[in-house]
Amino acid sequence: MNKSILIAIREINERFNNRFYKWLMIIGPLLILGLIYIFLSNTTASKEHWNVLIMDKEEILQTKLSATTPKNLSIDFINTFVDYEDFAYQEKFQKYDLAVSINEKIISNKHVIISYRERPPLNVQRELVYLVERRVEEIMVEEFTDLTLEEFRGIKQSLSFNLKDTYDPRNENSTTAGWVGFGFGLIIIVFVFMFGMTILRSVAKEKANRIVEVLLSSVKARQLLTGKLLGIGFSAIIQFVVWIVIIGAGLYLFRITFFPDIFSGEFVADELLNSEGTANISQSPFVELIYRQIQYVNMLIFFTFFFIGGYLFYGSFFAMIGASMGSESDGQQFVIPLTLLLLLALYSGYYTIYFPNSVLAQTLSFIPFTSPMTMMVKLANGFEVGTSWQLFASLIVLYLSALIMILLASRIYKNGLLRFNHRLRLKMLLKWTRK
Amino acid sequence: MIGVDNISKYIEGKTILHNVSFQLNKGEILGLLGPNGAGKTTLMRIINRITSPSKGHITYDGKILKEQHLVNIGYLPEERGLYKTMTVEKQIIFLARLRGLNKIDAEKQLNYWLEKFDIKDWRNRRIEELSKGMAQKVQFIATIVHEPEVLILDEPFSGFDPINIELIRKELLSLKKKGHSIIISTHNMNSVEEICDKAILIHEGVKLLEGDIQTLREDNSKDLFKISFKGNMLSFANALWAGYEIIDKEENNDNHFAVYLKMRQGNDINNLLNTVMEHVQITGIETVLPSMEEVFLNTINAQNTKEDE
Repeated sequence: MNKSILIAIREINERFNNRFYKWLMIIGPLLILGLIYIFLSNTTASKEHWNVLIMDKEEILQTKLSATTPKNLSIDFINTFVDYEDFAYQEKFQKYDLAVSINEKIISNKHVIISYRERPPLNVQRELVYLVERRVEEIMVEEFTDLTLEEFRGIKQSLSFNLKDTYDPRNENSTTAGWVGFGFGLIIIVFVFMFGMTILRSVAKEKANRIVEVLLSSVKARQLLTGKLLGIGFSAIIQFVVWIVIIGAGLYLFRITFFPDIFSGEFVADELLNSEGTANISQSPFVELIYRQIQYVNMLIFFTFFFIGGYLFYGSFFAMIGASMGSESDGQQFVIPLTLLLLLALYSGYYTIYFPNSVLAQTLSFIPFTSPMTMMVKLANGFEVGTSWQLFASLIVLYLSALIMILLASRIYKNGLLRFNHRLRLKMLLKWTRK
Repeated sequence: MIGVDNISKYIEGKTILHNVSFQLNKGEILGLLGPNGAGKTTLMRIINRITSPSKGHITYDGKILKEQHLVNIGYLPEERGLYKTMTVEKQIIFLARLRGLNKIDAEKQLNYWLEKFDIKDWRNRRIEELSKGMAQKVQFIATIVHEPEVLILDEPFSGFDPINIELIRKELLSLKKKGHSIIISTHNMNSVEEICDKAILIHEGVKLLEGDIQTLREDNSKDLFKISFKGNMLSFANALWAGYEIIDKEENNDNHFAVYLKMRQGNDINNLLNTVMEHVQITGIETVLPSMEEVFLNTINAQNTKEDE
């Protein structure tokens, strides 16, 4: 069997026997799911059913809202006005979660107050607003026009306004999509740093316990480096796949258990469809982002390519530092600039979100230090027709750079592995690359 | 088997090795001697292709040593290391497979050597749980598990107790008998005398001595003789007069003596015997050869003196 593969298998086994790796595999995705749960909890609510009291003193709505009421709402009418304190504390109102106050001048002042015991989620708010608006509309049509309701709705045209950049009119919603890309890029950077440090520690440990000399008598430095990069990289991919599976399963479970009404705005959407309404009702942006906007398949395919390329590129640097360290603490000074480069990559993603078409963003997407991040942002934004070559060109540059780095790193690796107890200097590193 | 041909190594303008040549034949044990910093480890790394020479080349069976030959070499470096969290079994199998054995053969070999070195009960223990001596055994097994034709051992006896030194020594002699060739770098001159067929001495990267052990000792002999007798020590000393120089003497019980002396004024053993036979009863006479340690020290000191001059 190829010696690099033997080295890689050993690395994988070592990771699998490592307690931190195993914990991270479970804790990491659970933490992310926890964060998503917190966000979703804020956009939805713990209650599934809401009792609503409509206080309509003048009976303007004529104790009627709609022919069909959403399943999650029970609506009662009262023809008196109840002030906040009474609604809050009187026993007979305790069964109501929400109170909708229809004042006598609603036709002219268009003002409605909804008071709540527990803040209703966006979908419940939207449902109530929709039902009351539609009912008032019916009454106004009846009272002030000779049109039938159908005729009115036939001619009623609500307008949809859209804010667009005059220099980039097609790039609407770029920020939200860009943040999705940033999220993927962030995972690449975090994983590259985490597993890059694993490479560094693994190489430094082999140096410190001197087994490296035994290994080098059987394998070439390049084979050793390749095996290490492959093994640790494969462990990273396994870790990532487990994360994806757990997060995916978690999101599915959230949807069917904790947040079954996450899309209950569908009632509103269905009603709108039936009535040909065009009011612009949107979901919670976060729910939209998680469940609808992310094109998981497309993103994951390129994520994998950029992740592997970025990992090999940065991993070579980490291996290089690990191999050339005189002692285990010696290489820390070289880890700092590498960490700064990773932070720069993060910033490049942030910059690309807001200035996706700037010259700097274009340039950064071809520089291997930053391209895994910037390209994920650009991919999430989408490429215009005829510009998708940039994606592939960036990948080619990244992989070529990774290859050059591996070759360079293996030289330093070979020269540095058997040097002990020296102080690492940049001059030394440069000299080793020429040997 | 292994030919070292004019190997030189220069690092950052410093000469680590200069034109070192020697030959290791099949079934031979060669002692690679030299003080610390002489270049022995560098030479062993070059033979193992861990580092490359600046000049010269290594041959294996008459051909330039290539990567594929490494499966026939076993290397035990002085600064040994093992993966501390791996078990004995996994560690040895991993290293055996890197040396070209398949999994089945590696396991077969593992069973044989664990049995032989009496550590089969430790098979599933992690290296960090082993004593230093036990870990040394594992390292030794990992070096020979693929039954290499050539063994290169840097200080193979260090860290072992006398019982295990004997075990390793016997094993090396047994491997030699089976036709394996061995290079041993050691500071333990007794073991060189005991098991090595020949030795080379390197000092500051230059080979100072080469030859089989007996020849090296004879070549460095200083005409020292040991004569054993029964009789009166004073009569013996008076008989010698000026033609001989007594270096040392040992008094045994019952008027038995052993005297170390050097010949002077062109005298030889016959003259010596003729001179003292009338006065004491000779029980033995032999040429005293220097130990390898003396050969080592004398050669290095002579070289240092030469350099000082």
